[in-house]
Amino acid sequence: MTDDPLAILLSRVASHDRAAFRGLYAAASAKLFGTLLRILGNRAEAEDALQEVFTRVWLRAGRFDAERGRAMTWLIAIARNHAIDRIRARPEQAASDDETEFLADTRPGVEAGLIARGEALRVIHCLNTLEPDRAEAVRGAYLGGLSYQALAERHDVPLNTMRTWLRRSLLKLKDCLEA
Amino acid sequence: MSDPRDQRPEDGPQDEAESIAAEYVLGSLPLTDRIAAENLAKTNPGFAARIAAWEQHLAPLNDGYAEVPAPKLLAQIEARLFGVPATNRGPGLFTRLRGFLAGGAVAAGLAVAVFLALPSPEPAAPPLTAILAADAQALTFAAAYDPAIAALTLTRTGGPAAEPGRTYELWVIEGTAAPVSLGVFDGANVTRPLATLSSGAVLAVSLEPTGGSTTGAPTGPVLVTGVFTLL
Repeated sequence: MTDDPLAILLSRVASHDRAAFRGLYAAASAKLFGTLLRILGNRAEAEDALQEVFTRVWLRAGRFDAERGRAMTWLIAIARNHAIDRIRARPEQAASDDETEFLADTRPGVEAGLIARGEALRVIHCLNTLEPDRAEAVRGAYLGGLSYQALAERHDVPLNTMRTWLRRSLLKLKDCLEA
Repeated sequence: MSDPRDQRPEDGPQDEAESIAAEYVLGSLPLTDRIAAENLAKTNPGFAARIAAWEQHLAPLNDGYAEVPAPKLLAQIEARLFGVPATNRGPGLFTRLRGFLAGGAVAAGLAVAVFLALPSPEPAAPPLTAILAADAQALTFAAAYDPAIAALTLTRTGGPAAEPGRTYELWVIEGTAAPVSLGVFDGANVTRPLATLSSGAVLAVSLEPTGGSTTGAPTGPVLVTGVFTLL
């Protein structure tokens, strides 16, 4: 019926199947841990966050709808939302040089990874219609969970300009994706 | 704004809602705006659908996340979800809280617990809510219990995260029963499984060393409390 094995596991988790939950951990924890690590930049915090993410997955599995998207997309959204809430809750945007270096170390070849997947070609095409620095800001925000402040510093523009960049870029992206 | 490259034909309220949904998924919004967007999505299916659409639009970027073998945390996660054998929890917090709740100063603290007024309660809205606050305490939380999914959600609405080396720990006290720890938390919001919760139950947040209380009693102060009431 579905070619999405994680979706099958998730539907079993929704009916409180603990074996399926273990299977889901085995199948998805590496991707989710990589996501959390990339955004949080701290292994101890990523481990704590991973526990919270799988707690939410167990509680919310019933809300996953395989008709609307792939299970991994749904799982990563939970992980990203939790990780971004955590960094936004940090007192100051304490993005140290250490963290930046760490993120750079773990950053995979984004373009290469994207190009490998046919379904991503459209997004690549649409990102390429943006100014290069704006496309880079979109990627930095999405993958690294960077705040407007951090992005503004990285691109050396005022914060409000960065916000305008991103908002306009996203709407252009949408126009392109829906064209 | 003045940059001609930024010009689009129209920029109406629909674009505004669309932009906020997109920024939420992108992750760039400040925390208060994120929480506002999450709350809007809970009561406004149209806005929730915009968020879901953006999650799909940007999903191909997820390929940029590398897989990193995760530590073996399954046992801890299962303990959190399915419970662990009863530990020797002392009566410390309960005793302290009972004194705290009975004391005069506490009436003021509890008076701060108010109904969480949601604009348009949907059938799916959590039926039990509480505001956690205390006099002369910047820290505040909004709590909601949803029996449909047997889970309690806590959102920090004011005050700072715990300082380095410390963490917040969440406790629930039902009637005269001993308090039950719902675990430590550091983020701005947290969800915990909870089989049942009654109106009138007390929720408390204490300040603990990183990792939380090891004795079942708080080693730091009880910062804020709130009473669950029907929505």
